[in-house]
Amino acid sequence: MKELIEYIAKSLVDDPSQVHVTEVQRGASTLLELEVAPEDMGRVIGRNGRVANAMRILVRVLAAKEGKRVTLEII
Amino acid sequence: MSETRSVETSAADIETAIELGLEELGVTRESVIVEIIEEPSRGLLGLGARQARVRLTTAAPPRQERPPHAEPLEEAPPPAAKTHRPAPSPKPQPVNMDELDDDARVGLATLQELLEKMHIKAQVEVLRAAAEESETAPWVLQIHGPDLGVLIGRRGETLSALQYITRLIASRELQRRANIVLDVEGYKARREKVLQRLAQRMADQAVRTGRIVSMEPMPPYERRIVHLALRDRDDVSTESVGEGSRRKVTIIPQR
Repeated sequence: MKELIEYIAKSLVDDPSQVHVTEVQRGASTLLELEVAPEDMGRVIGRNGRVANAMRILVRVLAAKEGKRVTLEII
Repeated sequence: MSETRSVETSAADIETAIELGLEELGVTRESVIVEIIEEPSRGLLGLGARQARVRLTTAAPPRQERPPHAEPLEEAPPPAAKTHRPAPSPKPQPVNMDELDDDARVGLATLQELLEKMHIKAQVEVLRAAAEESETAPWVLQIHGPDLGVLIGRRGETLSALQYITRLIASRELQRRANIVLDVEGYKARREKVLQRLAQRMADQAVRTGRIVSMEPMPPYERRIVHLALRDRDDVSTESVGEGSRRKVTIIPQR
């Protein structure tokens, strides 16, 4: 799950070196925290949160395969 | 995915409602339980007409065990393998790998990378869509493989998200809008046919009852299909009403 978000985020930002994703396991649910350079926040959130929502939808496919729930937070 | 999903749809008749639900879930008739919530009724003298309402619930499908990591994606099958397949215009046409331009190449590479990271084992076929009037025909990245319902999602939501992200990444690399669309096992073409048939039926209903018929809320791409399907009918006109995800097509009978 981490790799998917990392790939998308790094492909969209100006500064890929500042992209960090941490995966926190809490039982059956996984929390993904995506960190990017402040100037790149807009790129991974998108207008009306469209990019962030699309990332959430895609990572959910992966989580569902493993029978997990996943939350993506951009920090 | 072992959880069950369920969806409620309504249409003029039960069969259409079921068809819509199956499209939404991206599954076949055999893998759902159909509950009829409300029988359709024409109403008395055009009053109190009710749509058919059904609920479809996916039965948890027997899953074959998958290796934890997907194998590398296969290349799109060579076009030579499908030359014998009838491909009447204006259907998308198979193309040669060396005919691909930057849009198609970058789009394909991006999509394959995303699918691999999503652990989806699939093949991607590149087709050229039929050109519509003045616009340049987009490349169609058609995804093939077993159990790809998850890639379509409810109301095609997952497919939309995948297309959005693929285009965004590809466009960034190309430094201009990538002229590509994504599809999964012909889902969009099937959905288009369902919507066209539904639009005609709803239009007939509007004319018969002399009342405005509202369709279910739909994304812009699908509303466009309905508008186009009814463009040539002079007994009805169409209009989209509502905001955001609640926006829907209304069919207005003309006198």
